[in-house]
Amino acid sequence: MPHTLLISDLHLGVDHPGSMVLFRRFIAEYAPQAEALYILGDLFEFWAGDDDLWDELPAQVIAALRNLAQYGTRVYLLHGNRDLLMGKTLAEACHATLLRDPILIDLYGTPTLLSHGDILCTRDTEYQRYRAQVHDATFQQLFLAKPLAERKAYIEQLRLRSTLEKRNKDSAIMDVSDSAVAALLREYHYPRLIHGHTHRPACHEHIVDGHRCKRWVLGDWNQQGSALYCDAQGCRAVKV
Amino acid sequence: MIAGKSFMKGPHNMKYLFTTLLALLLSCAMQSSYSSTQGKKTMVKLHTNHGVITLQLDAEKAPNTVKNFLGYVNGGFYENTIFHRVIDGFMIQGGGFEPGLKQKSAGAPIKNEAANGLSNDIYTIAMARTSDPHSASAQFFINVGNNNFLNHPGQDGWGYCVFGKVVDGTDVVDAIRKVPTGFRSGHQDVPEKDVIITKAEVVK
Repeated sequence: MPHTLLISDLHLGVDHPGSMVLFRRFIAEYAPQAEALYILGDLFEFWAGDDDLWDELPAQVIAALRNLAQYGTRVYLLHGNRDLLMGKTLAEACHATLLRDPILIDLYGTPTLLSHGDILCTRDTEYQRYRAQVHDATFQQLFLAKPLAERKAYIEQLRLRSTLEKRNKDSAIMDVSDSAVAALLREYHYPRLIHGHTHRPACHEHIVDGHRCKRWVLGDWNQQGSALYCDAQGCRAVKV
Repeated sequence: MIAGKSFMKGPHNMKYLFTTLLALLLSCAMQSSYSSTQGKKTMVKLHTNHGVITLQLDAEKAPNTVKNFLGYVNGGFYENTIFHRVIDGFMIQGGGFEPGLKQKSAGAPIKNEAANGLSNDIYTIAMARTSDPHSASAQFFINVGNNNFLNHPGQDGWGYCVFGKVVDGTDVVDAIRKVPTGFRSGHQDVPEKDVIITKAEVVK
């Protein structure tokens, strides 16, 4: 049956070797049967710039995704909050298409809005301020102009600083705001919504202006692989 | 001595003598006030199940931060808390959780005093916080590397406030930094066997 797979929040990096194993298995065994694979952000734990794609781990990811082309599986990428610097060079290397966030697609007749999901965490005002800064084109240009080693050091220091957070949960992982969800659904005329980022896999229903809208949240790949299988009959969560 | 020589040589002897004496007096005054605050460096002992760590706190450079820290020490807040996050080469962090990773409720947050000239050098103690620069309360960390990138202004314009250093027990800190760690109850870098602060006290 023609279907599409959606995944997000793999956080592939040298500190998560288990996730890499799961990802390679998923790409080899599940993805080839799908018409399309959407990766809704945070594929990588961090992304210092496309000049890093020759490093061992990115090279493995690229090889795995490129391989899907022979099965006719279209690959689409969204930026996450960790890998927001993924660029066209990387996308081309993966034979993938970078999409803007959010993006409305037609999924077997159901208008479906795709997003990484961090734009919905409006209660985390500190994060939204940070997000506005790092999404600024000038800021990104200046950052990418620095030598790769410097960018990687900065990112590593950012990561170490984040370990000093005294809250229980990762501060970047606050849940979405219902009002932000409602506003987005209204803006895009009440579609189905699929996103990641919060690492809280579930299916929610929102009633906005009398419309029932489903909101699917993708799971992270910390302990096991997690994907959403969508076809003409709807969506269901699958474990890898 | 100096006054004497200039008195002998200078054409405007009296004026020169006056200004030199004044300079000497002023520097003497500064010297004595410096030494009187130098004597005020409070010492705190952290008794842990790996040994005792003695901290010398710098109330001159971080008055509010030291006062806040002493409040927790004297109130017994740090008793039976753990170093809940240990990253060798970076820092060991404590002051917020009981064994079993039960988070304790801390007091009001304090203003960031990181712009005090103190550096996050190895074996210094600094306040942990969120990305909000003025969110530090009870949690602290001891640097086990030279973490200059944490100094004011740092990556966020504020940095992390150093308020003292380990003056005895660096070997204990070194033992703690080497403990095996893992993922526990949703936290990373947690010591597999609890590193416990059994008592924290001001040294008289």
